[in-house]
Amino acid sequence: MTFDRFGYRYPEAARAALADLSLELEAGSFTVVAGGSGSGKSTLLRACSGLVPHFHGGDAEGRLEVCGLSVRDNGPGELADACGTLFQDPETQVVMGGVQAEIALPLEQRGAGEAEVARAVEEVALTLGVADLLERRTESLSGGELQRVALAAALVHRPALLLLDEPTSQLDPVAGDELIWLLRRLNEEWGTAVVVAEHRLERCLAAADRVLVLEEGAVACDGSPREFLEWAAGSAAALMTPAARLFAHAGLRPLPASVKQARAALRVAGLVPEGADGGAAPRERTDSRYTGVSATSALRRRLGRRSRPALELRGVWHELRDGPAIMRGVDLRVEAGERVALLGRNGAGKSTLLRHAKGLLDPTRGRLETAGEVALLLQNPGDYLIHEHAGSEAGEAGLTNAGLAGRGAANPRDLSGGERQRLALEVVLSSEPPAVVCLDEPTRGMDRGWKAGLGERIAALAAGGAAVIVATHDTEFAAEFATRVVLLGKGTVIADGTPAEVLAGGWHFSTEVSRTLDGEAGALTPEQGARVLERELVSSGPGRPRRAEEAAR
Amino acid sequence: MSRARQVAAAAGVVPVFRPGSSALHAARAGVATAYCAAFALVAMLFTNPLIVGAVLCAIVAAGIAGGVGRELASTAKLAVPLALLVTLINPLVYREGDTLLVRGGEFLGRRMDITLEALAAGGLAGLRVLALALAFGLFSAVVDPDAVLRLFRRVSFRSALTASLATRLIPILARDATRMSDAARCRPEPPGRGAVARAALAGALERAIDVAAALEVRGYSRARRPARRRTAWSRHDLRVGLAALVIAAAAVAAAVGGVAAVEPYPRVEVALGPPELELAGAIVVAALAPLAIPGARLGVARA
Repeated sequence: MTFDRFGYRYPEAARAALADLSLELEAGSFTVVAGGSGSGKSTLLRACSGLVPHFHGGDAEGRLEVCGLSVRDNGPGELADACGTLFQDPETQVVMGGVQAEIALPLEQRGAGEAEVARAVEEVALTLGVADLLERRTESLSGGELQRVALAAALVHRPALLLLDEPTSQLDPVAGDELIWLLRRLNEEWGTAVVVAEHRLERCLAAADRVLVLEEGAVACDGSPREFLEWAAGSAAALMTPAARLFAHAGLRPLPASVKQARAALRVAGLVPEGADGGAAPRERTDSRYTGVSATSALRRRLGRRSRPALELRGVWHELRDGPAIMRGVDLRVEAGERVALLGRNGAGKSTLLRHAKGLLDPTRGRLETAGEVALLLQNPGDYLIHEHAGSEAGEAGLTNAGLAGRGAANPRDLSGGERQRLALEVVLSSEPPAVVCLDEPTRGMDRGWKAGLGERIAALAAGGAAVIVATHDTEFAAEFATRVVLLGKGTVIADGTPAEVLAGGWHFSTEVSRTLDGEAGALTPEQGARVLERELVSSGPGRPRRAEEAAR
Repeated sequence: MSRARQVAAAAGVVPVFRPGSSALHAARAGVATAYCAAFALVAMLFTNPLIVGAVLCAIVAAGIAGGVGRELASTAKLAVPLALLVTLINPLVYREGDTLLVRGGEFLGRRMDITLEALAAGGLAGLRVLALALAFGLFSAVVDPDAVLRLFRRVSFRSALTASLATRLIPILARDATRMSDAARCRPEPPGRGAVARAALAGALERAIDVAAALEVRGYSRARRPARRRTAWSRHDLRVGLAALVIAAAAVAAAVGGVAAVEPYPRVEVALGPPELELAGAIVVAALAPLAIPGARLGVARA
């Protein structure tokens, strides 16, 4: 791809979405496009696929060539031969009822013969691991499966370039990680050039050759992952990965682009025990993290019995009429002012628990009590926004709390994902102060800046006396905001304790810093990790450097 | 029930195709479509309750044999009230018939008498509506819409794709409506039905734009007429196709021959002789033959 002073402005937009871009992306490269919400990442990808300006309208200037085709003279149909495109929401990318028909459609549209279509579908299905899905109906697929099928449809004609706009934002972490590894394999084994816009950089930085950072439509940084991290440390800390922030806080250099690099650097510096690298199993611990309720949580529960809890579930079951039990005798007591992160894989019962708390579902067995009103924000904030003006949704005070003061006339559908999320939260909080606030996956598709703001809002609600329960897959966010973590597995509580007790040292339910430090001292966040590096490890053990700065040298 | 939930419930009465192991599922889309269309043809050609009843029996039996009985029951939830509505409206519109049941007053300068014959004619029309709806329900449940799209793509690609998209979007929009209904219940002051319905419509339009963009980047604008596919005829294709042919041919021949005539006015006269019984029997036997003969189900190992 070649951008030569390329710029673009959406119809009726006040400012340009892309401004004066000049750069080249090589064939076979893996490029990550980073930047905050509204920085121009999606517009850049839409320009490369020809949707901008041909589909969206607006004014384009300068030159952009994709695989030798000028975007000015060729629309999405022509460019589709050279590049495959994948968007955020898998639901809107799948148009056929069956998986096989879906993957075959792009080739059939090109008039390919039956044998050619059959072979291409077979090959791409085996390559992307969707062969066992070929006979399935698309409505029966999970989000991760649907996204892989959409990827197969984008790749079936073997394009030289693959464009992906936050492809993991609607997926759970496991499905998101699988997708990124799939992209890496495509790039390494078949030489497909990949350009992916992502918020969660820790997921894809390890696979990238190059990182492009956009700010207000212009290139702010263009370099290798390590060069990007050095730039971010000085200019955009919100874009740094947790491991890089750990190193930056501890004064270590160079900043690592992956957990593997981080552990290797710490091992060389003598800052982690020998043998801890290479996927070592979590060390044995004396707490009850993997066997149920931790001692801290049990003590808290005993002390808490004297007061009325904000929310209490006693032996709550939820059994489907024609299916399995989603909740199996859940006992949970949440006190006022607690900030609880509810973790667990898809189908573990997180959302069902929150719906029970709100009263959208009734338990088939067991009892549930609340101290007052329950506010529930479901996964899709757009579902709450039904008026034509943001001001009609939450009033002036709500707009101010949502950081949207002065934007009451804006249509909620024109707001960014993070803005919609905050506005929807104010909608559910707009009456009497609730006793319990439940949020279901509130960080999906949000950048780190929005997440920090949400964490502050949650802290304020808890300080005001509300119990806040957040169902999330985002362990980094859970480590930042929660005072307690409850892990659900197959409808039962399988761990309940402080974030350090539950998250430190785990494999999946863990943070990047915890994985880097092998769960040492329960450090979960970069700040905690840096303190561990400075206090506990640096000062102990023969042959270890006295200070982290020495290790860096 | 909120508007959104009503939309979701309404969407649930249109069966969605799921792969199955019956002969109907295994037959090629064109043949299975012809089989369902044959039932619809009979329902359109005849008013005779014996013939329409035979068609209804054949559809229900074929649905049960094809493993889609529950889907047909869902369709019936919408179709039966519709049939009753037709039954009740007919005597209000037609005053013909010798047997007066209710002498009504004047309404807008028109006498509102209700006759037995008009009520009976309404019942017969309702029966036909029921048969047509169930034939469509059977079609939706056993015929792969993607294969139907492929059938029509060579004739009109864009129209066929639009139809396919509509089929796929029905359950998605139903899910959207359910979600929005739940979100409305989470608001401190639940909004009115109109507001939720408007928002659901706006959401559907937004989704439609995203789908259009996805189609564009797949090369939709340059779509060409696809290559012809040649697939060998399976035994299920032949059996189901033959059944459709027999039903359609018998129905057309009987209609041309004046069999199964019905004259509702001035007195209800329904032909119920041997030819009508033979036709009804032929429809049921022909419809069930491909599903009942040995080996009609797939994937069942011999003991």
